[in-house]
Amino acid sequence: MSFDCSDHLHYKVLHLTGEVDLSNSTKVRRCLLDILDRGNSVIVDFSKLTYIDSSGMAILVEGLNTANKKELSLTIAAAVGAPLQVLELTRLNQVFTLVDSVTDIKE
Amino acid sequence: MSSLDSALIEVNQLDASYGDRQVLKDINLTVNKGEILVIMGGSGSGKSTLLKNMLGLMKPAAGEILINSMDINSVNKSELLKLRRTMGVAFQGGALLSSMSVGDNIKLPLRQHTDLDENTISIMTRLKLELMNLAGFEDLMPSELSGGMLKRAGLARAVIMDPKILFFDEPSAGLDPVTSVELDQLILELRKAMNMTIIVVTHELESAFTIADRIAVLFDGEVVITGTVDEIKNCTDERVINLINRSPRKVQIDGEKYLSRLTKGAK
Amino acid sequence: MFRLIKLIGSSTILFVEELGRFTDFLYQVIKSIFSRPFGGRDLIKQLEFIGARSMSIIILSGLFTGMVLALLFYSVLTRLGSVDLMGSAVGLSLIQELGPVMAAIMVIARVGSSTCAEIAIMRNEQQFDALTCMAVNPYRFVMVPRFLAAIISVPLLTAIFNVVGIFGGYIVGVYLKGLSGTLYLQNLIDKIGWEELRMSVIKSFVFAVIFIWISMAKGFFVHFEKGVSGAEAVSLVTTKAVVASAIAMLFADYISNSFLI
Repeated sequence: MSFDCSDHLHYKVLHLTGEVDLSNSTKVRRCLLDILDRGNSVIVDFSKLTYIDSSGMAILVEGLNTANKKELSLTIAAAVGAPLQVLELTRLNQVFTLVDSVTDIKE
Repeated sequence: MSSLDSALIEVNQLDASYGDRQVLKDINLTVNKGEILVIMGGSGSGKSTLLKNMLGLMKPAAGEILINSMDINSVNKSELLKLRRTMGVAFQGGALLSSMSVGDNIKLPLRQHTDLDENTISIMTRLKLELMNLAGFEDLMPSELSGGMLKRAGLARAVIMDPKILFFDEPSAGLDPVTSVELDQLILELRKAMNMTIIVVTHELESAFTIADRIAVLFDGEVVITGTVDEIKNCTDERVINLINRSPRKVQIDGEKYLSRLTKGAK
Repeated sequence: MFRLIKLIGSSTILFVEELGRFTDFLYQVIKSIFSRPFGGRDLIKQLEFIGARSMSIIILSGLFTGMVLALLFYSVLTRLGSVDLMGSAVGLSLIQELGPVMAAIMVIARVGSSTCAEIAIMRNEQQFDALTCMAVNPYRFVMVPRFLAAIISVPLLTAIFNVVGIFGGYIVGVYLKGLSGTLYLQNLIDKIGWEELRMSVIKSFVFAVIFIWISMAKGFFVHFEKGVSGAEAVSLVTTKAVVASAIAMLFADYISNSFLI
């Protein structure tokens, strides 16, 4: 698993690659919370994500909650395959804002 | 013959006994990755014993159990620990620890084996409780839950670490029909979304036919047949047919002997 | 005739099997004391249950035991003309013998029975199987807190029993029988030293190990009881645990006496 950040408009984009699970989700958490601490809204890019487990989902939920408290936004982009099924199974697809791709966000 | 690459669990020539009583004879079984295997049988068929052996709770009298190509009875402690972390078990009555709340019970594997933040653990627990329709029950004690709720809480604990292999002991026992169907659907969804391999021990036909990729039928400690739902339905073995048709075992009555049994000892 | 031999034979085999299981159990418990993680919270909970909540019955039984001892010794000692030895008579009887034994019996009755039942129920509900499958050491998680709480609490409870008993003896001796209070206490201090106190501590420690070991093991192995299951089995092993603990304790008392007195 690897992750890196880029910029899109005024957002920070967190690209997740590979599989997020118990062994690496803490690192993702630290990064996500750092981004939010610095006052940036986040887009989490799922396009290269092949698998995410509940710990990963929990971290995104915590991220969303933190973002809401700071009046920032957290959006998930390009969720497909197994990660999308997890979002559906946990009914979190009704909680997060999902977009098809990062470029769909125009403002 | 299924390809050996995809066999996640192999039971080879398993014999199991309790003291002098032999309960399982020459059991051979494979479970393929990503499949849902149902182990079915009547009471006394040995299915609970088979489950205990597969979980490593019991040493077999003969034979071996391989999980991920590792023999669970001869592997060393740290390997066994790693293996157990990828296995979740939902026991019949939930088997929650009575001294801890529901939430603490579910969090136990996470607190013992990971160093995740408490926030993350808390959200994960609630996600699983929501999945089991137990939202808001995390602070209750097990003694305050009904049988069905205990089962679901036990399942939540079994899947809290998103195991690759899930064992389910009698999921439908004691559940009302609606909850039972919901549970079946949940099992199917778990396999799809989390790519779990699931082994279910049950005697409920409806459930078995709904969820199973393959069914292994046990009778008197032996595997009578292993096959797909259709293969089981078309099986010509009398015991399997009786099981499916739920016909009671026919008892031949010898009139005279019956009368004498009824009236034994009468003055 | 043969049936008797068969019965003796099978009973012996069963007994030896049980002894083997129990010994392995104790070994596992002691080994697990040193493994992580440290369940501090559970230990405190058990200390409160075994120690703190036993206080009232220890104090009550201690008081009455001391008072009865004083009455007994008064009548004997006056006849011998040595009633000024009252203090040490009561004190020594308590510290060397009645304190450890009575305190242990009270704790066995209260804690031994409930602990055994609790653990037996856990076994029946497959809670130990669940712990094993979660790769959590059931000995560390369930047994160790209770074991440590017992070996810490029982010596302390014994000490309290002794003190309260001596006080009870004081009340009877001084206020009922009119003996001199200072004489009572002085006699106590003169005759009781570290040798005697050490005996109380060692005995109470040994008794603690015996009862908590037997109570927990009986519950843990409830599924080995032949012919019974469920609630009936729980009730059976609980009774057996209390009786076995008491008898083993009295036997250990005799052995300790032959070494220490």
